[in-house]
Amino acid sequence: MEINRDVIERAINRKEIYRYLGYGTNEPESCVLALVDEALLSLLTAVKPKSIYKIYDCRTDKERVFVGGMEFKSRNLSGNLAQCDKAAVLAATLGIEADKLLQRCEVVNMAKASVLQACAAACIEAYCNLIQEEIRIAAQKESGQTLYLRPRFSAGYGDLPLTAQKDIFRALDCTKRIGLTLTQNLFLYPTKSVTAFIGLTANPQNCHVEKCKSCQKTDCAFRVCEEEERKDLVQ
Amino acid sequence: MSFRDKIGKELMFFDGGMGTLLQERGLKAGEVPETWNILHPEIIQQIHKEYLLAGSNVVSANTFGVNSFKCKDLDYGVDELVDAGVRLVRNAMDEVRVQENGEAHPMYCALDIGSIGKLLKPLGEISFDEAYEAFREIAVAGERAGADLILIETVSDSYEIKAAVLAAKEHTNLPVVVTMIFDEGGKLLTGGDVESVTAMLEGLGVDAIGFNCGLGPEQMKALLPQLTACCSLPIVINPNAGLPVVVNGQTMFTVEPDAFADSVRTLVEMGASAVGGCCGTTPEHIQKVVETCQGIKIVPVTDKKITVVSSYNHAVRFTKKPLIIGERINPTGKPKLKQALRDNNLEYLYKEGLAQEENGAHILDVNVGLPEIDEPVLMREAVTGIQAIIDLPLQIDTSDPVAMEEGLRYYNGKPMLNSVNGKKESMESVFPIAKKYGAVVVCLCLDEDGIPETVEGRLKVAQKIVDTAASYGIAKKNLVMDALVLTISTGQDNARVTLETLRKIRYEMGIHTVLGVSNISFGLPDRVKINTAFFTMAMNNGLSAGIVNPSSEPMMAAYYSFNALIGEDEQCMQYIETCARQTDKEKPQAGAERKREAESGALSLHDAIVKGLSESAYQATIKLLEEKTDSLSIINEMLIPALDVVGKGFEEKKMFLPQLLMSADAAKASFEAIKETLSRQGKNSESKGKIVIATVKGDIHDIGKNIVKTLLENYGFDMIDLGKDVAPELILKTVQENNIKLVGLSALMTTTVVHMEETIKLLRKNNAGCKVMVGGAVLTQEYADMIGADFYSKDAMGSVRYANGLFEKGEL
Repeated sequence: MEINRDVIERAINRKEIYRYLGYGTNEPESCVLALVDEALLSLLTAVKPKSIYKIYDCRTDKERVFVGGMEFKSRNLSGNLAQCDKAAVLAATLGIEADKLLQRCEVVNMAKASVLQACAAACIEAYCNLIQEEIRIAAQKESGQTLYLRPRFSAGYGDLPLTAQKDIFRALDCTKRIGLTLTQNLFLYPTKSVTAFIGLTANPQNCHVEKCKSCQKTDCAFRVCEEEERKDLVQ
Repeated sequence: MSFRDKIGKELMFFDGGMGTLLQERGLKAGEVPETWNILHPEIIQQIHKEYLLAGSNVVSANTFGVNSFKCKDLDYGVDELVDAGVRLVRNAMDEVRVQENGEAHPMYCALDIGSIGKLLKPLGEISFDEAYEAFREIAVAGERAGADLILIETVSDSYEIKAAVLAAKEHTNLPVVVTMIFDEGGKLLTGGDVESVTAMLEGLGVDAIGFNCGLGPEQMKALLPQLTACCSLPIVINPNAGLPVVVNGQTMFTVEPDAFADSVRTLVEMGASAVGGCCGTTPEHIQKVVETCQGIKIVPVTDKKITVVSSYNHAVRFTKKPLIIGERINPTGKPKLKQALRDNNLEYLYKEGLAQEENGAHILDVNVGLPEIDEPVLMREAVTGIQAIIDLPLQIDTSDPVAMEEGLRYYNGKPMLNSVNGKKESMESVFPIAKKYGAVVVCLCLDEDGIPETVEGRLKVAQKIVDTAASYGIAKKNLVMDALVLTISTGQDNARVTLETLRKIRYEMGIHTVLGVSNISFGLPDRVKINTAFFTMAMNNGLSAGIVNPSSEPMMAAYYSFNALIGEDEQCMQYIETCARQTDKEKPQAGAERKREAESGALSLHDAIVKGLSESAYQATIKLLEEKTDSLSIINEMLIPALDVVGKGFEEKKMFLPQLLMSADAAKASFEAIKETLSRQGKNSESKGKIVIATVKGDIHDIGKNIVKTLLENYGFDMIDLGKDVAPELILKTVQENNIKLVGLSALMTTTVVHMEETIKLLRKNNAGCKVMVGGAVLTQEYADMIGADFYSKDAMGSVRYANGLFEKGEL
């Protein structure tokens, strides 16, 4: 499936946008909903998301992870990738146009800029979700067995240091391939970008998406939202 | 025969890939290929030799990734790696000469320069000057080591390319070839298209332009016509061996030498003057290419005679269809803009620019000249700032040669320059810099004797300018003549002289034209009536671009009507569209906000702010002022209490960020109305206090800071916004110079909280005497305490409360 504008638009989770804006599980008032529509339209018209990934053999021990030729010291990542024979390293970006659009918007309409910011964050998430499905299918084809995805894990999560970005950049040649750069302070630029490890496992038990539950920060607003949403689903 | 003599005259062959060959010979993932110039010179030299024996004329030294940024992590310096790299090519060339026994084919050593891998400011991290300095170091080292040319390749950011080309041309005498990496849609990663960068590079005077990497020869075939259509220079094409395929975590390129050579042959037939390969290509690929293409006569390189300017992402051509140059960024006769410039309030400029873009301008004139300001500095800031958010090409408008060069140098694209005239002094100061930066120059038909009264007189000056420009190597296509407009209120023949001059310049001299249209009506009532009539007449007499106010509906109506009438508006679509847009504006339906405004009817100021309706808030304020309500009581008794309702709602989580900001925007509109009234009465609005705000060094996320700024502004504080990635020293300097009592700092990540701490320490050490409030994603109260901040703001309202407390209770 080609990941075009329409596909991305359908994949965007509006609830996530509201959450980023601080609404929790509340539905925004109609004027803000209209702003969301406007912002999504200009964003999806302007951006051309790009990504690159490679699928490597993966091995873990208690506190180390070996992916391709790389080695990372991180208990959290090791936990995330346990039982994964393969792991993908992914880099994705909405590109420089998203940042340009945001800067423009900040000059004329700060309210819309805040909404646009949230939309862009949801958009890169949606795009990553689409790409990782592509990764799953590609890996499945290669291995001949059904594979499941572990939740994306990025540098800076838990005990995986931000310096892991440097290894990811070397492995994927992000700058040349998709125009993603890493600053001296290890920021990604363009800003609406993601790099991540994605474990691939044949064990379905191991695949349930834990999202917030796996995080150590228990007082986070997003976690509360997610739990409420889950309760809603159960009911 | 030198490289310059040969390129574009007969077919030349470049070499192929290096990285893939080194991996086959044991280069490990993560190992820097350039270090092999010193660690395994024999392998590098051998690869060069293989390419030469395969028939390459140009072999690139293994210096692609060498630059001062990357060398920081290495044991070797730039000079050392470049020196070794160039020497290995020269050694290989010597060996081949011996082997070919005196009948060696022409061989040239290219210093290979790649991207630094960082984005440039204002969007990215490093400054244009830092990038320039890094490229200067490499270029100088390359020339010293004996390179025959400089190949800037696999670059994808036009601004970085400009820095590299300027460094190469200002510090070496070597020919410069630039090959860029485009995607299949013909775009650079930073958004530039083929014509826009071609225009820029031709202007900068490079020797050849082309594509490399990113695509295979088949995809480049699809893209090449875009380049041959606009490029007047020799074209170099170095494709990958197809598109990359990842197998087991390894990137592979799979097009075989035979198929590769066949495709490349087509590229030569289509207009490439030199061909080679990039990723995945080998000496076998090049050998096949040489065998297949040897002896083909190249398509002659011709001057396309296009008058074109460009921004970072698109080109604008002068054609039969006239262009609109927006005139609004010019302080002459605009007190508000003057004040904004004095206050260094560039946001005002940006808004003017955005409005003109929205109203249909193709190019924006930028004039920031005021006697009491540092024009060169402001010109640079304005040009780079506008380019960060507006895509239109700019016309740098100044009479100060220093400001002119600042504007041209830091411009991203091929600029327009306003202006030169027939005076000797003017031409001597303007033409050298116009030539150097490749600007399209506006030429005024006047000289030491003033503005000639007759058509013949003006044409004589025009011809003098054309001839003098030619002596500087500036072609006619890079000149645009201003026939000059004098008001008809002082001479009834003035319009006729201008129009006739215009026609002759355009159709007899073959040069494009420009006019400051509205000058025609100085001193007359209802100027727009004369202006629109004259604009239409001028377009009909060969006006290529009108410098006008795009926000003037009658002028734009004249413009769109003219295009429709001369058959330059297919099915009158643009005309119909603009009419429709016009109706939209009158019935305020466009945009969610306008719709809401319309539905709400007339609101009190309080309600307008609480509901976040800017236009209603503005109107309500105007009404209050007309009713002679005192401005201070409007602010204190209506505006601030209304904002507080929203602020409180936000703190109690009953209202949310977008609403808070909408209300802030509405309050801003109300403030605007008050300020306008006060300044008409010759008074200034009172400020609650001045606050400096900045996103700290190394940090490039500044929406959080901007939100806080918006709120504080609308609670009546004067904000000095230093932007993002701000050095501690600048913050200290600003605090000291402005006697600041409160500083707000924002940081997003742990890596930059360090710089927040550094800033606070610097302020304390120098007894700056200000309080510091901090905020940002990773900050917590504990963290804030640890780095010595006075206040931690957990959200945007927190900072408002704190600032209010400090300034109102006189705690400072």
